[in-house]
Amino acid sequence: MKKMINKPEDLVNELLEGFALAFPERIKLIGDRIVTRANPKEENKVALVTLGGSGHEPGLSGFVGPGMLDASVPGEIFAAPAPDRCLEAIRVSDQGAGVLFVVLNHAGDVLTANYTMDMAMKQGLNVRMILIHEDIGSGPPEEPEERRGLVGFLPVIKIAGAAAEAGLSLSEVYDVASRVESNTRTLAVGFKGATHPVTGELLANIGENEMIVGMGQHGETCGDTLPMKSADEIAELVLPPLLKDLGATAGDNLLVLLNGAGATTLMELFIVYRKIHQLLGEREIRVARNRIGEFITTQEQAGFQLNITRVDETLVTYWDAPCDTPYFTVCK
Amino acid sequence: MEKIGYDEIASIFNAASMRIRENIKELSALDAATGDGDHGTTMGRAMDAVEKAVSESAGSDLKTLLYNIGWGAMCIDGGSTGPLMGSLFMGMSDAVADKESLDCEALAAMFEAGLAGVRKQTKAKVGDKTMMDALEPAVKAIREACDAGKSVPEALAAGAEAAMKGAESTKELVARFGRAKNLGERTLGHQDPGATSIALMFKGFAEAFK
Repeated sequence: MKKMINKPEDLVNELLEGFALAFPERIKLIGDRIVTRANPKEENKVALVTLGGSGHEPGLSGFVGPGMLDASVPGEIFAAPAPDRCLEAIRVSDQGAGVLFVVLNHAGDVLTANYTMDMAMKQGLNVRMILIHEDIGSGPPEEPEERRGLVGFLPVIKIAGAAAEAGLSLSEVYDVASRVESNTRTLAVGFKGATHPVTGELLANIGENEMIVGMGQHGETCGDTLPMKSADEIAELVLPPLLKDLGATAGDNLLVLLNGAGATTLMELFIVYRKIHQLLGEREIRVARNRIGEFITTQEQAGFQLNITRVDETLVTYWDAPCDTPYFTVCK
Repeated sequence: MEKIGYDEIASIFNAASMRIRENIKELSALDAATGDGDHGTTMGRAMDAVEKAVSESAGSDLKTLLYNIGWGAMCIDGGSTGPLMGSLFMGMSDAVADKESLDCEALAAMFEAGLAGVRKQTKAKVGDKTMMDALEPAVKAIREACDAGKSVPEALAAGAEAAMKGAESTKELVARFGRAKNLGERTLGHQDPGATSIALMFKGFAEAFK
């Protein structure tokens, strides 16, 4: 394994230390490695808190800041953090209007989140949990609980975060988040597996001339192994199942996110995006908004996650609302 | 031995911890086959927390000891392992109430309560290729040994044997839970690391009396 680290056991602490030093005006570390906004949200506004393993930078802590998350609880590499830390993050983030707890559907995250919610309820905290499970590669539509949470967390926290800043109540923010979540779908493609930065294990073994459609966040593969294809052919392969699953048809407005997995170049992402955009145009589906870049990665895994979200005017307004986080900014 | 008390419970956890520590590399290697290869180091951190809880609980009662062990394991930032191990030990704590010592009946009830604690957290059952494949048979074997009038060490030995058989049986199973689930049929032939950890712990529990 060739990675620029010091001692493996210091990895998470050191990455957080560097992250905090890089963005002192936006975020800070408090308590036991909780990433919060540098300046807390105004009182009586709903807060958004999330949790997740490290090693996926900039996800998820890269989106802490005004207009998006109030706090993020990073775990060890690819492993959920402990419930007591999540509870602490919820407690310190609550500005009197309650907390939306955003959880990506992965076994460890959900176990931790459920336990956190039990404790939060016992302590009388005002929290609602929203589960992100939009990966169509990991389960059929009739088994939504099987579907994992991938980059679909981003439209949810951006739009719900804006709704929270606008002063909506917790149940209203939850409804907005839930509307985004039920209208978002992701499909991931992997070309090359990453190595675990602590254990040095290869996370997915993909042949030189192969690709996997339905690649999970950690290189879990449940989809099909196919011969490697061109950018245009890959776009033609991944877009139709997403549109079908969402039931998107001519006249719909979509928010389109193309998330690089870590080792895929922007060059490649733009080439594949170009085809996706063309294919949507042919179907008379409008790209209302889009973003191309790295939002949640898996070390040097190669590939991408294509995410589409059906949006209406209200959701687009929230998407356009200002936010200021280390890795996602919308200017006023 | 008809009854065990605080010191024996503390010592069975230390023995379990030793068994896990000796096998950290093996557990990570099992995990590497179907996961990301960190199960051994995660269990090592869980056992750090268990040993710390045992040493810091000195002078407390049985319920507090088990609760502290559970809470310590819960709080290791260990993905699924933390909450599952934590709820096992915290569940055991619920069952001992104000008891100062445990006879075989109370021992069986304690492990059953631990199993119930895990069941609150996960829907995984025997056959799903998870820790449940070792835990359920172990608890059942302890209960059966107690009902048959066996001593506490005999019951723990029966639990250890059942847990090991259960862990070995996972080689024949396809994963249905956790990250390994996504590999489906490709998990066949690989022993589940979580079930193996449980088997090693129960082996430690039994060996504390040898």
